[in-house]
Formats: sequence, structure tokens, C-alpha cells
Amino acid sequence: MVANSSDEKKGLDSYLKMPLVGGAVIGFAAALIQALLFAAGGPQAYGFCVACHSRDLINYVYNSLTGSNLFLAPFSANPVAAGTLPVLTIIGVLVGAVAAAVLYKEFRVKKGDAKSYVVYGIGGILFMIFALCMGACPYRLALRIGYGDLVAVFGLIAIIVGIYIGIKIALKRMED
Amino acid sequence: MVEGFLIAKESAVLLVPIATIILGLVIGWLCQRSGFCSIGGIRDFILFRQTRLLKGYIALIISAFVFYLIFSFIVPAAIPKFLWCMQDGQLLTAIGGAPAVSAAGVIVLMIVGGIFVGLIGTLLGGCPLRQLVMTSEGNLKSLVFVIGMLAGAVIFTALVSPWIIEAFTAIGL
Repeated sequence: MVANSSDEKKGLDSYLKMPLVGGAVIGFAAALIQALLFAAGGPQAYGFCVACHSRDLINYVYNSLTGSNLFLAPFSANPVAAGTLPVLTIIGVLVGAVAAAVLYKEFRVKKGDAKSYVVYGIGGILFMIFALCMGACPYRLALRIGYGDLVAVFGLIAIIVGIYIGIKIALKRMED
Repeated sequence: MVEGFLIAKESAVLLVPIATIILGLVIGWLCQRSGFCSIGGIRDFILFRQTRLLKGYIALIISAFVFYLIFSFIVPAAIPKFLWCMQDGQLLTAIGGAPAVSAAGVIVLMIVGGIFVGLIGTLLGGCPLRQLVMTSEGNLKSLVFVIGMLAGAVIFTALVSPWIIEAFTAIGL
């Protein structure tokens, strides 16, 4: 197994464990994807986004199953029109993270109670609706700021305010 | 300097699913190893003044800017309107915003959406990427969150988005 192999691999993993490296790689990869594949369709700063790429993927599945015509960004709609698949980022993230978790023996099934499933399910629905209102998850928001979109800065400030309110609520709940 | 695109449209559309799944694999691996989380980074900084995760998010913004800048010199056609706010003499127009909604409308959506994204992310322990990674680590609550996200995407596209455009048009935003 990788986890207890040579020191060299341990050294590499200690770099990969730094969020700094992850952030820099995501920024680079998103820019690279746009530089290579912008001909496939826009919009700009669309290299990586959890919300939008999930939307493209699930709407593609929904459209294929029901024959409806829900919106896909051109970056996914043009490949679909050409007979290939939309963005598969989300599947990649899930598979990549499962592989890393299994390889480093960090895969553990954690269950919740029925109430927590309801809360997380509704939370997921609302989260996605509000993220798509912004046209970005926090990641595409960062890409958009990097691209010079000043409107995205409002989104970042709003997220910080939301986190602040969330912390206040969580702390208050712990006191009660 | 390269004129036009590096890869023509016919090939680019074929490469979209392949390139994005490779990107996803790399990001999934890195985020599982590092616990990368944007909302978590800001939360840890406000609560504990911890900067480990926050550094990742700041690195993302800087790295995106630097590499868009570099690629905008190498392949100008693929990075159109880089430094978005400097184009057309208008500071406040959004990338990929709904055409029916004005800049003021987009800012309202950004602020309302952002507050709830931050709030829900904080209360349920992570941004969407972290939820995907926790799902992969076997967390069933996160799995339900991700399924909720997918349902939310269909609900947004089919119902909420037309409603927002109608409502904003009605009040003149």
C-alpha cells in the first residue's frame, strides 16, 4: 500500500495534504481547461464548479430520461449536441476521493439518524438553489474573481456574512 | 502568440468529458488528502484564526488570476474579456449572468444566494466540494446532501430560474 511505502511517497503526500497546493492546482487546471477547450463553448471561468457542473450533469441525465429540455451551459450543451457527454467533473471528484480514501484507509461508513438525513437532504436542495442563484459555488466564485468579475466579489462578501451568521447560530445552539 | 483556438470546436467538444473527468479525479484526490474546503476555511479563520484551509482558498483565487493572465497572452481567443470589469467601460456586469437580469439583479442574487450558501454550508459542515469528498469517505449524511443538491439543481432550472426572471422583470431589475 502507498501509505507505508517509501519515504519519497510520504514526502509527496505531505505536500498534497496542504490545502495551499490543492487551491493552486484547481486554479491552474481550471485556467488550462479554458485555454484548451474554450472552443467547445462558454461561459468564461467555467473550468471547475461543483454547483454548475452538477447542474449540467443532472440536467443531462434528466433530459435523456424524460425527453425534456432543461438548461445546460454551452460548455456542456455543445458536446451533448455533438453526441458526446457533458462535463463529468463531479463523477471524477467522487471517484478520485474514493480512491484516495480507500488507499489511505480513511474510508469509513458513517451513518446518521433519520432526522439528520432529512436536514441534510433539505439542506442540499436549498444549498443548490441558492448557489445557482449566484451562478457559482464558492469555487467558480473564486475563478470569477480571478477573471476580474467584480460582481463576484459581492458574492464572496455575502458568503462571509452568511458564514458569520451560521457561526453565531451554531454557538448559540451549543449554549442552550 | 497563437491565433484562434488551440483545439478546434469539433475536437474540443469530444475532449470536454475526458478533460473534466481527469480534472475531477485530480481534485477529488487532492481534496481528500487535504480536507480542502472554502467555507470551512473562512469559518476556521473567523472562529479560531486558523489559516490552514483559508490559505487554500486564497491560493485558488491568486492561482486562477495568474494562470488566466498567462494563458490570455498565449491563447488570447480562449480567454476573452480577461479582466472582465475593464471591458466595455462597465465595471459591474457578471460573467455568464442570465441575459434577462440586469447587473443590479445579479448583485441582488449574489447577495441573497451568498448569504444562504455561507449559512447552510457552515451549519451542515462544509461547502459542496467537501460534501462530495465526505460522501466518498463513506459519510451517508453527505451522500443525502449530494442527492439533495442534484434534486435542487433540477428544481432550480425547471421552476426557480423562470420564476426569478419573471419576478425581476416585473419589478424592473
